[in-house]
Amino acid sequence: MSNRAELLDLAAGLFLLCAVAILWRRDVRAQTAWLSGQGIALAAIAAILGAQDARPDLYGVAAGVALLRAALLPTLVRRAIAARAEDRESAPLINVGASLLAAVALVLLAYTVAQPLVRLEDTPAARALPVGLSVVLIGLLILVTRRKALSQIVGFLLLDNGITAVAFLAAAGVPLLVEFGVSFDLLLAVLVLRVLTARMRNLFGGSDLDEMRELRD
Amino acid sequence: MSVNLPGTALAVAAGLSAGAAAAALCAPDRIRVRLVGTLSALLGAAGAVAGGAALAGHTYAARLPDLFALSGVTLQVDALSGVFLAIAGAVVSATSIYGIGYASGPGRGRWAQALWPLFAFSLLLVPAAGSVSTLLVAWELMALCSLLLVVSGDPASGRVREAGVWYAVMTHLGLVAILTGLLWLGAAAHTETFAGLRIAAAGISPAVRGGVFVLLLIGFGSKAGMAPLHAWLPRAHPEAPSPVSALMSAAMVNLGIYGLVRFGLDLMGAGSRWWWLTTMTLGALSAVYGIVQAAVANDLKRLLAYSTVENLGLVLVGVGAAGVFQDSGHPALAVLALAAALLHTAAHAAFKTVLFLGAGSVLHATGTRDLDELGGLRTRMPVTTGVFALGALGAAALPGGAAFPSEWLLLQSLIHGLAVPGTLVVVVLPVTVGAIALSAGLAVATFVKALGTGFLAKARSRAAEQAHEARGSMRTGMGLAAAACAALAVLPGAAGPALARATACAVPGGGPRVSAGVARQLTALGSTLWPLMLVAVTLGALVLLRAGLALVSRRAGQRATAPLWDCGAPPLTARMEYTATSFAEPLQRVFDDVLAPESDLDVTPHAESAYLVERIAYSRAVPDRVEHRLYNPVVHTVRRAGLAARALADGSVHRYLGYGFGSVVILLLVLAAAR
Repeated sequence: MSNRAELLDLAAGLFLLCAVAILWRRDVRAQTAWLSGQGIALAAIAAILGAQDARPDLYGVAAGVALLRAALLPTLVRRAIAARAEDRESAPLINVGASLLAAVALVLLAYTVAQPLVRLEDTPAARALPVGLSVVLIGLLILVTRRKALSQIVGFLLLDNGITAVAFLAAAGVPLLVEFGVSFDLLLAVLVLRVLTARMRNLFGGSDLDEMRELRD
Repeated sequence: MSVNLPGTALAVAAGLSAGAAAAALCAPDRIRVRLVGTLSALLGAAGAVAGGAALAGHTYAARLPDLFALSGVTLQVDALSGVFLAIAGAVVSATSIYGIGYASGPGRGRWAQALWPLFAFSLLLVPAAGSVSTLLVAWELMALCSLLLVVSGDPASGRVREAGVWYAVMTHLGLVAILTGLLWLGAAAHTETFAGLRIAAAGISPAVRGGVFVLLLIGFGSKAGMAPLHAWLPRAHPEAPSPVSALMSAAMVNLGIYGLVRFGLDLMGAGSRWWWLTTMTLGALSAVYGIVQAAVANDLKRLLAYSTVENLGLVLVGVGAAGVFQDSGHPALAVLALAAALLHTAAHAAFKTVLFLGAGSVLHATGTRDLDELGGLRTRMPVTTGVFALGALGAAALPGGAAFPSEWLLLQSLIHGLAVPGTLVVVVLPVTVGAIALSAGLAVATFVKALGTGFLAKARSRAAEQAHEARGSMRTGMGLAAAACAALAVLPGAAGPALARATACAVPGGGPRVSAGVARQLTALGSTLWPLMLVAVTLGALVLLRAGLALVSRRAGQRATAPLWDCGAPPLTARMEYTATSFAEPLQRVFDDVLAPESDLDVTPHAESAYLVERIAYSRAVPDRVEHRLYNPVVHTVRRAGLAARALADGSVHRYLGYGFGSVVILLLVLAAAR
């Protein structure tokens, strides 16, 4: 096994570890730190793929990913927390232990489902593919089980990191233009969610999503 | 390279449709209605030319791969398409010219006018489609345009809205059935072009073909107003603007028949006997139920809508009989039955256009469709009364009317078909003959009622007293349709070669020899019956009688004038006439068990004494019983299920997200387990 393949496995492992850690921590501030870490891991994946295929444009993608996902987006979330201290608790609907067990089951599921894809082309990138899928599922789990609006944003970012990782690993890197478009969408989504969170806080005095139940017709 | 006539005509029609729609949206108000009407009439004429060329033996096939993503557009025109193209084109022409006068009044917006040419073009596109995907696209375009035109009448009216909802639901459920059936067929045959399906259909298992046919019978049958699925017709036709009703009833419903003939007989090669016995039974049921309801209807346009159910039922009987005969190895009889069905489709289109346009003129002039409030229109609207009488003669299937040759031909084919062995056939065929006879008799009563109580005698309301004759373009439109009616009544033999070509497309094994036989048979029908002679003799006899009477009265000397005998209770008022309700009362009694009418007698006693009556109110309604028994339970069940399902959506965002997450995980689990 070459050096690069080992590096790729390491980056993918870190990527998954960060997702699990976000599930484990209840404090949103700590979650954003792990989110930064995950962004760096994702950028590393892109860079390693670029080195492997000798495609310099992927370095640009990696730099962009690092800038956006490791720095900009976590900062935006952290600044939203600073406004109100009580929002730091992510208030899960099921406790952390059960969440971690569920995450184990989801990772197993992702690995089982991705088997045919791995068999299709047995490269290090394809072998790492289930990691991306697992992170997508863990992101969805966070969206479903966390009460506060801010932790919803974290779940959403996790989901998107997972999708991006699958795109990198399955298509051996994404063109700069596509990644640029996706990033712009993501940035807008996070900004809109931040505005929504702030409005909710003004209207209801808290950011618990279940308060919105009365809004249906 | 020689010019392909059907293809060129269709291209011209497409251009005219786009031009007319653009004109409706952009042209200044002064010329808009006239311009759109003229362009649409030309569009109809182009369609009729395409159909006529196809009937004359020209065929057309084309593939436009770039027009739609993935599937492209495939067109094919043969003589069978030609029948429906020609009918639709002619109806579009007559109704568009009529529409110029009709739309000049208030209430027709630009959007409704822009939809008209699109709807007209979709009616041409459905029979010209050459693949499943093209047919489905054209079909949906037709459904959407007609739906919007139905509600364009008066969107604020509750009845129009209700009719629109009924029509939307029924037409889309029909589309679901057709879509499922055709995709199933296409998947089993591994192709979607008609040419490919025709070859591959023989290799598909009978169970799959039977399933596909049932779905298609539901979908196409509901469009053709087949009995339990007819509920949208008597709602949508009365509420739509009259030219739209005419176009829907005379051209659109035919395409349900086209679908059944094209897929059932042509592409799937007649299949099994039970398909066609079912079709025949449902057709006979529609014919009788439709005409019984029409006989007791008071609303003129509702009456006409139920008459459509009856006539399309007769066409279904013909198509079903063709299938039975084809299946039992009597191609000559099959060709005869199918020719009768197609001829009846054309005749129905002609007289129904006349009748709906006539009803539109009455509505335009009096503002009411209630036959009980009409009467006495003959003196004030002579032209409309004349063409309506011609249409009514056709609808009553009397000799000299448009529907007579086709119904006679249909009965002939069924009676000759008694030679076909099989217990069920021996039972179904005579019963069907009886049903056709019953419906023909009731049709006479129905249209005597429509014409007699609607147009003759004295006016029964102020609106009817103040009626005015239809405008010039409306008279032209009605006149064109009436001319088609008269031509079909007098010279059905002329359609022989064209029908022979059309039936040869649909009945495989028919072959040129048998088709030529049909042409001869139709011509023979023309010569033995010779409707032309019948009409000439009747007219001649009438003229002679009149002349004789004049001669006698002159010889008798001075004519004495005396007051009309009025039983000694003068003066005769309009309240003494037969109304539509009273005319239909005996029929309503006879069919009491079938119709289950609801009558209500409300007696209000005087305030000071219970024995003195102040007021008696009598009301009667004949609701559609099928609708009550069949549709209401379904609607209630769906509503209850909907209310129960509200518990699933309690407003919690987590729950909604959870549904999505759960579905993804379950799908992945299934994927993992299925491998």
